[in-house]
Amino acid sequence: MSYNRFRDADRTSKADLRRFVFGFGHRFNDSLTFNSEVEIEHAVASAGDQGEIEIEQAYLNYRFSDAVNIKGGLFLIPLGILNETHEPPAYFGVERNEVETRIIPTTWRELGFGVNGLVGEGLKYDVGVTTGFDTGKLDDPSVGIRSAHQEGQLANARDLSVYGALNYRRPGLLLGGGVFTGNTGQNGQTNPLLKAVAARLTLWDLHAKYSVGRLDLQALYAAGTLGDADRLNAAILSSAPAPFAAPKSLKGWYMQAANHVYRRGDFDLAPFVRYERFDIRQQEDPANGLLQDPNNLERVVTFGLNCRVHPQVVLKTDIQSYRTDKTKNRFNVGLGYMF
Amino acid sequence: MKRRDSLGVLLALALCTRAPAHADVYQSPESFIGEVFGQRVSPKVLWLTKLMQAQASAILGHPPAQLRQRYWREGGRSVWILEETGKEELIGAGFVVAHQQIDHVRVLAYRESRGQEVRQPAFLRQFKGARLARGASLDRDIDGIAGATLSVAAMERMARLALYFDASSRN
Repeated sequence: MSYNRFRDADRTSKADLRRFVFGFGHRFNDSLTFNSEVEIEHAVASAGDQGEIEIEQAYLNYRFSDAVNIKGGLFLIPLGILNETHEPPAYFGVERNEVETRIIPTTWRELGFGVNGLVGEGLKYDVGVTTGFDTGKLDDPSVGIRSAHQEGQLANARDLSVYGALNYRRPGLLLGGGVFTGNTGQNGQTNPLLKAVAARLTLWDLHAKYSVGRLDLQALYAAGTLGDADRLNAAILSSAPAPFAAPKSLKGWYMQAANHVYRRGDFDLAPFVRYERFDIRQQEDPANGLLQDPNNLERVVTFGLNCRVHPQVVLKTDIQSYRTDKTKNRFNVGLGYMF
Repeated sequence: MKRRDSLGVLLALALCTRAPAHADVYQSPESFIGEVFGQRVSPKVLWLTKLMQAQASAILGHPPAQLRQRYWREGGRSVWILEETGKEELIGAGFVVAHQQIDHVRVLAYRESRGQEVRQPAFLRQFKGARLARGASLDRDIDGIAGATLSVAAMERMARLALYFDASSRN
């Protein structure tokens, strides 16, 4: 549950049951398991409402050993820190950070097959082949390529993608990174002007998390490129009711520090601060009125407090300050739980 | 790598890796107990009184599943085989307690889809020497594993319970 109160009186302050997620799983035997998440967003899902019902994950996992697991179905892509661990008690702030929303489109899932496992002490690998993006579906450049991800819904799959990730975990330490790449033109299945256009998308990230004593430190850098942006502009001009310049490169990073100032039993009080910056560069075409949106070059500072009353229940509050689009400056309150 | 090559690698991995009969059970309790004592030791039973059930509930955050707990003791060391849910699945672990402190810990069964790193020696070594402090908490902070918060918390709860049961069994 979240409450966003904007400083700009012209923006509507809202309270929302943002996400309600059911997890279903089944163990067929010691090796074969099924995992799934069904999510309802914004409390009500109907033709006249903004809510959605989504399958976030639905995959089978066959575990040969710690070193080799094979999974198939709809699963989360292992890029960044947040995408695979996106439950509210697991991150700081009412809102998910902007970099892992606009550059890495959390909660990001694809249909496909993957292999993962632990190698040595604490090193986990992930590789796989999945569906990818369809840039014929781009309709909102403010969220990078997010609006082109297909979420397993009748996904155009002429062009598939591959991913790989390595994460090294020790007590208190996480170091990792990943890459995802594939063509996104989908042979013009959505927009005929993209027939034979590769529009290759490559996203990658590096991240680190370190907990020492009462201190939690976290940093992430994510970047990406989207090819054939000029061809994408032509396709957008032909079909979008309000044309915009296609994104051609994305990058962003954040640093975050939290201090668990008071811990007693299950109770944990942790103020935090996060600085983040993201640049979504667009392919400008002034002759056709396609220009860079200045709000896609943004810096955000978040000060807040996470109050866990139980390891699985958190009350959060924070203040967010945007340097470019100041109408987004706001005060947030959130309540999160998982069980 | 070409797409066809990627699919080939996945298929080769699937075909070349043999599936063990019980993929998520790393060691049986009998084997762990035998390894600790080096000889056959008969089990003992700790009956949980109402007071002990209440304390176990406070440690676990839920009532204990058992009314009696089997354990093994020999030469000043006791072994406690416990199970606790991480995020969705039961984690089985063996705790060796000596002189009211954890001597060593082993994860015997782990079924969660993530967080297998709690099996790693670097994580389990943190429990060595841990004692019960005020409020039945551990006398030290245990560094977590990113992405395995609930499994780490389950391991901590079991460590506290093993120490509490060990102390109770000596009274």
